[in-house]
Amino acid sequence: MPSELETAMESLIMVFHRYAGKEGRSGTLTRRELRILMENELSGFLKSQKDPTFVDRIMKDLDANGDGEVDFEEFVSLVLGLSIACEACYRVDLRKSQSWNL
Amino acid sequence: MPSDLERAMETLITVFHRYSGAEGNSSTLSRRELKQLMEKELASFLKSQKDPAAVDKIMKDLDANGDGEVNFEEFVSLVVGLSIACEQLYQKQMKAAAKK
Repeated sequence: MPSELETAMESLIMVFHRYAGKEGRSGTLTRRELRILMENELSGFLKSQKDPTFVDRIMKDLDANGDGEVDFEEFVSLVLGLSIACEACYRVDLRKSQSWNL
Repeated sequence: MPSDLERAMETLITVFHRYSGAEGNSSTLSRRELKQLMEKELASFLKSQKDPAAVDKIMKDLDANGDGEVNFEEFVSLVVGLSIACEQLYQKQMKAAAKK
């Protein structure tokens, strides 16, 4: 039985490959595939962005090796950045709920 | 309804905080808390390490700011590193399966 953490890691891989296989190289995301992934999997985050070229800018940021596609290592750096931002919000909420209990 | 990806990100945060609150700073993992987390959540990985000092070495590697504790940002870099290693294995398996 995999732990919760192992299941989360597996999800990151399965989500990436769910979108990566359709066009371009099978192990990477094209710009179109990245947009579809973000629209389906990160819709809350995407809607919060006012800039219509946001996906293009994310693509450029993520594509560390400059090959025009996003590999898993590049993709997971986006997840890392978002998780760190979410955890900071979580700690603020945690502190608020703790102060209510005092 | 959260997506699979959002749920995975949420799990990283809740798992971290499940272990970080027991002792010391409630927002960071002490060495003991990191060991407990790895024993329960990454048991297969830990068993694959031959070195009994693996947790200490990982603690030292993760503690980027040198304060003797592991914060979420430091912890999540371990998860990212492991995920990248697992994904490389997955790609090898996919390619091997495609050849059959």
